[in-house]
Amino acid sequence: MESAVVESRPEVLAALARILPREALLVEAEDTRPYECDGLTLIRQRPMAVALPQTEAQVVAVLRLCHRLGVPVVPRGAGTGLAGSALPDAGGVLLSMARFNRILAVDRRACTATVEPGVRNLAISEAAAPQGLYYAPDPSSQVACTIGGNVAENSGGVHCLKYGLTLHNVLRVRGYTVDGEAVEFGSLAPDAAGLDLLALVVGSEGMLAVTMEVTVRLVPRPELARCIMASFADVAQAGDAVAALIAAGIIPAGLEMLDQAASRLVEPFAHAGYDLEAAAVLLCESDGTPEEVEEEIAHMSQVLRAAQATRIQVSRDEAERLKFWAGRKNAFPAAGRAAPAYYCTDGTIPRKHIGQMLKSIQAMERRYGLSCPNVFHAGDGNLHPLVLFDDSDPDSVARAEAFGAEILEESVRLGGTVTGEHGVGMEKLNQMCSQFDRPTLDAFAAVKRAFDPAGTLNPGKVIPSLHRCAEYGRQRVVGGALPHPELPRF
Amino acid sequence: MQTELADFARQHADGPEAADILRACVHCGFCTATCPTYQLFGDELDGPRGRIYLIKQVLEGQAPTERTQLHLDRCLTCRACETACPSGVKYGRLVEIGRELLAERRPRGWRAQAARRALAWVLTGGAFAPLLAVGRLLRPVLPMRLGAQLAPARAAGTWPRTPRARRMLLLAGCVQPALAPNINAATARVFDALGIEVLTVARAGCCGALRHHLDQQAAAREDMRRNIDAWWPAIEAGAEAILVNASGCGTMLKDYGVLLRADPAYAAKAARISALARDLCEVLPPLVAALAPRLGPAVSTRVVFHPPCSLQHGQQLRGVVEGMLVALGAQVLPFADAPLCCGSAGTYSLLQPAVSATLRERKLAALTAPRPEVILSANIGCLTQLSGGATPVQHWIEWLDERLR
Amino acid sequence: MDATLGQLVEQVRGATQARTPLRIRAGGSKDFYGNPSRGQILDPRPWQGIEAYDPSELVVTARAGTRLAELEAVLAAQGQMLAFEPPHFGPDATVGGCVAAGLAGPRRASAGYTHGGLRDFLLGARLLDGRGQLLRFGGTVMKNVAGYDVARVLAGSLGVLGLLVDVSLKVLPLPRAEVTLRFELGEAQALERLCDWQGRPLPVSGSAWCQGALTVRLSGAEAALAAARGRLGGEAIAAADASAFWQDLREHQLEWFAGELPLWRLAVPPQAPPLALVGAQLIEWGGGQRWLRSAQAPARIREEAARLGGHATLFRGGDRAGGVFSPLNPALLAIHRRLKQAFDPAGIFNPDRLVQGL
Ligand SMILES: Cc1cc2nc3c(=O)[nH]c(=O)nc-3n(C[C@H](O)[C@H](O)[C@H](O)COP(=O)(O)OP(=O)(O)OC[C@H]3O[C@@H](n4cnc5c(N)ncnc54)[C@H](O)[C@@H]3O)c2cc1C
Ligand code: SF4
Ligand code: SF4
Repeated sequence: MESAVVESRPEVLAALARILPREALLVEAEDTRPYECDGLTLIRQRPMAVALPQTEAQVVAVLRLCHRLGVPVVPRGAGTGLAGSALPDAGGVLLSMARFNRILAVDRRACTATVEPGVRNLAISEAAAPQGLYYAPDPSSQVACTIGGNVAENSGGVHCLKYGLTLHNVLRVRGYTVDGEAVEFGSLAPDAAGLDLLALVVGSEGMLAVTMEVTVRLVPRPELARCIMASFADVAQAGDAVAALIAAGIIPAGLEMLDQAASRLVEPFAHAGYDLEAAAVLLCESDGTPEEVEEEIAHMSQVLRAAQATRIQVSRDEAERLKFWAGRKNAFPAAGRAAPAYYCTDGTIPRKHIGQMLKSIQAMERRYGLSCPNVFHAGDGNLHPLVLFDDSDPDSVARAEAFGAEILEESVRLGGTVTGEHGVGMEKLNQMCSQFDRPTLDAFAAVKRAFDPAGTLNPGKVIPSLHRCAEYGRQRVVGGALPHPELPRF
Repeated sequence: MQTELADFARQHADGPEAADILRACVHCGFCTATCPTYQLFGDELDGPRGRIYLIKQVLEGQAPTERTQLHLDRCLTCRACETACPSGVKYGRLVEIGRELLAERRPRGWRAQAARRALAWVLTGGAFAPLLAVGRLLRPVLPMRLGAQLAPARAAGTWPRTPRARRMLLLAGCVQPALAPNINAATARVFDALGIEVLTVARAGCCGALRHHLDQQAAAREDMRRNIDAWWPAIEAGAEAILVNASGCGTMLKDYGVLLRADPAYAAKAARISALARDLCEVLPPLVAALAPRLGPAVSTRVVFHPPCSLQHGQQLRGVVEGMLVALGAQVLPFADAPLCCGSAGTYSLLQPAVSATLRERKLAALTAPRPEVILSANIGCLTQLSGGATPVQHWIEWLDERLR
Repeated sequence: MDATLGQLVEQVRGATQARTPLRIRAGGSKDFYGNPSRGQILDPRPWQGIEAYDPSELVVTARAGTRLAELEAVLAAQGQMLAFEPPHFGPDATVGGCVAAGLAGPRRASAGYTHGGLRDFLLGARLLDGRGQLLRFGGTVMKNVAGYDVARVLAGSLGVLGLLVDVSLKVLPLPRAEVTLRFELGEAQALERLCDWQGRPLPVSGSAWCQGALTVRLSGAEAALAAARGRLGGEAIAAADASAFWQDLREHQLEWFAGELPLWRLAVPPQAPPLALVGAQLIEWGGGQRWLRSAQAPARIREEAARLGGHATLFRGGDRAGGVFSPLNPALLAIHRRLKQAFDPAGIFNPDRLVQGL
């Protein structure tokens, strides 16, 4: 999906300057470099320009102009993405939607909130709190990430086992296709006529349309929520406990795991009170009416004990419950205390393989000589191994990348997927070649063309080219194992 | 984050420290959410993560222009980002180093330099009090807001002179005695009631923060050394602590050790000063029980407490004052966006008036939403910034002092 | 490739070459639904059976020709269910037809994650496209954002993009307990009540108002039901009657559905006021789905649905030649055309069925 820049840089910039006020257009390297990556710092690229529109008319004008001139446009929210989905295009405009941060309406009767795309995830719940409502999907980055980014990535959270992903909680997206044409996907009714294009746009990594307004469903805050912290002497046992809970017919409100390395990482910041001696801790939440919670907590504790939990602690009050979660939610960046950089992968596997996967990762740690704490959405089987490395050491970088790639290959081999919620972006293009065959990848490309025939909206992401897959195929043996994992390959 | 220091930065005394801080940043963006200027401007460059990048560019040897300067100037140094950062990035320290290096690499124009010097001189030297008096006289003809903020000072009342067995030094401050002389006196009275004598030393003056934040690091170190010399005899004579009732200054005192560590003559003493520095709320809570019987009923019980950035982020003292107020019978009302700066930020309100005014408006709206009878705070800058609205503003020690019987 | 599947592939390839339209039809239980279509019958029923089911993974993968009743029986034996309660509309309904129609029953409007339609539970699908290629979208895990979520677009696509081959559906445990309550209420009051309940943490898992009575189902732990009942009041209905009621509602077997007048389905925002239309109504999904028996002009009915922010479908009966679904605006229609072109370049699958001229 290469895009041809028709006009030369100075002409494009001059044209942009005519439609954007001065402080809304950044062009010098000094100003654009801080935009060269999102939350994935391994891949960086300076854009030709950064546009920071303040009005919807400016967004449309930028889109029309870029469309006319064949200039790529990459939308960006808060830049917390972990897959390089918002990586700028060297010859393109990075379209920051951060200034659209108004909450337009919170409707208690309809249980909806309508917001601009730059509104932070947590800000929606804060605005809805006085009505006793909240927005359920809660990515760990919820303090910072925007709803526009959430829609683009179909973000999940620690409570999505019971409450669903972004997809399940967004009713309507209003926006523009790359040529500046107004479009609306979904509706405030339970469904909309025609094909369910909302399902395509959610999770499309900003490649199908630019989101201008989102209406989300709000849910009533449960009367009570309590969280169990269960300790295990072995990671595999903790993995099995997850399957045991589900098999017992329980759908916990949240079900997360931290291994020992991960809990030791976050404890100094979060003071969450994790059992630092346990090989793994499970956080297992129940919410509902007080009676219901009491019943469920008892049931869960019983299952956990039968699954060899060595210690079970139930949050005594809301403050303690929030502490348990604070540790979990701050886990990735806390890795910055232990190493200059971390590489977080996002494979999802069938729950029954969690234990086995964790053991494989332990073996990889030894092989690559890098440590890898694990903290993840256990209930969904969505892993987040944090490969710790030193980004000023090229060898360490190469080992980290190979380590991450091997985890993803292993996820596919176990019947899972290379990304559960962070997206493919630039980062997992290679592994897309393993997960999908060429006809399916071509079908993705055709979907892209259906929305963006010229291919200028966030080009080059998600769908690997034929050439790339051929290259990648040469490097790996069928079955996922790399012949010489110690060698850098990127 | 990976950083390749340029030669000049590698040789600079603070270069390696800056590189270490940069390395801790993993670019997660959690900090942007709590940054007041990011909320206003919506530009990465006006948020901590972008500023870190700008500083990184300077350290890596790229020539900064006035735009890097602008974005660093707009930073309030409120350090809310530090509290939010799970990775432990010491942004406050980094931006200090960044500003110092930037001033070296790209000196400000002479006008800007002169203005900054004049500001420092006025505020810390002897000229502030007389100028303030003139301002107050002119109040009726000044623009609304400035006029409002120059409200007449509350009278200081008497300073207890009873010698006590326990003695603590008090940082008197520079602008505070002129703007709100009652705060120091109230401090002395409350401690006197607890059997602690509060001493001030005439020769001690500004803590150095003002000049430090106006790019006058050398002059700031002079302030520090002068204060150390002034306090030293009292410390040798057994003063238990150096009390600070302006949290901005407290943060500075606690940094003396770091800032003078390269000065062989003062490093050890500076470290001792930092170790002795205490915000009031670090000393009073254990004594609350002893104080309670000495207190009468409060004039106003529905209060909000605006935690100054220097207290909640700079010194990481969160919830302590609130807890104490509750223990003393106040109804401390919750309000939105407590981690956000009020826009005062030392001289920031004078150098970035527009940003400062917007932040003040937002903060006042948030603080008054729960309809308090009084707004309490703990730093002279915030108190001045927030005053002039419909709700009275006080230092919490004054609120306490009023109840002494 | 399995021979049965091979035959389906061959039939599709042949039709593409000859550009002969194919009408995908399995049990024929939903023949009445959608726009009139045409073409040679493509029957996936030989491709049937459950491919994989592991209850602790909460996922089942079934071939398109599998009978829906068989799938639900297998799940029930493990204490699980399809939480969107799809209507069968006949004993021969198949899994593929169920997904292609995208219909959901009373449980669609439950609290929590069970709050969702068929597409919310569709994790993956294999599609036989117009080129005779087998494409696999999504997967069998709960969270998956690798590539566009094409599988979910197939839900309710009425076969216009290709033949569904297998589908992976998320399943949920059967509720531990249920209770059904009835309230005597007029339409406006009932809508008001439903609206209020939606904003409160109540385990509502079905609601239906018609002829002056609001029937509400609660599902969950015993303790939760007892607490909710205390709060809601109403009159409890005997368990056997209640389950017959919900079953009949789901399958359109209630007395209310009998008769010859055209049956309209209006999907509107749940909080929308009573419809300004003439005809008997049955309201479901907390107010979001309103069944209407009416001989009023289709244009009038569509206009009212649009006014309220929704859309209207001529579900059964009536004059179907003018198109049964609300028309799409030009921007969306253009995207539909290009998607159709991408998956079915020869335009052989179920012509017109979802969108006339497509
Ligand atoms: C520490 C940490 C923890 C995280 N935890 C989670 C987690 O628990 N769950 C999870 O799902 N994710 C998590 N993430 C990933 C990330 O926060 C999410 O992907 C988030 O949705 C990105 O939002 P953003 O606003 O930062 O978007 P960006 O990173 O700026 O952009 C992400 C994508 O959205 C597109 N985009 C943004 N705005 C628009 C718009 N208005 N219109 C069209 N496209 C747009 C961009 O083009 C890009 O493709 C985490 C990230 C970090 C750093
Ligand atoms: S110190 Fe305050 S203003 Fe400066 S970057 Fe941090 S949060 Fe923003
Ligand atoms: S929160 Fe900390 S680690 Fe994350 S971007 Fe900000 S400073 Fe860097």
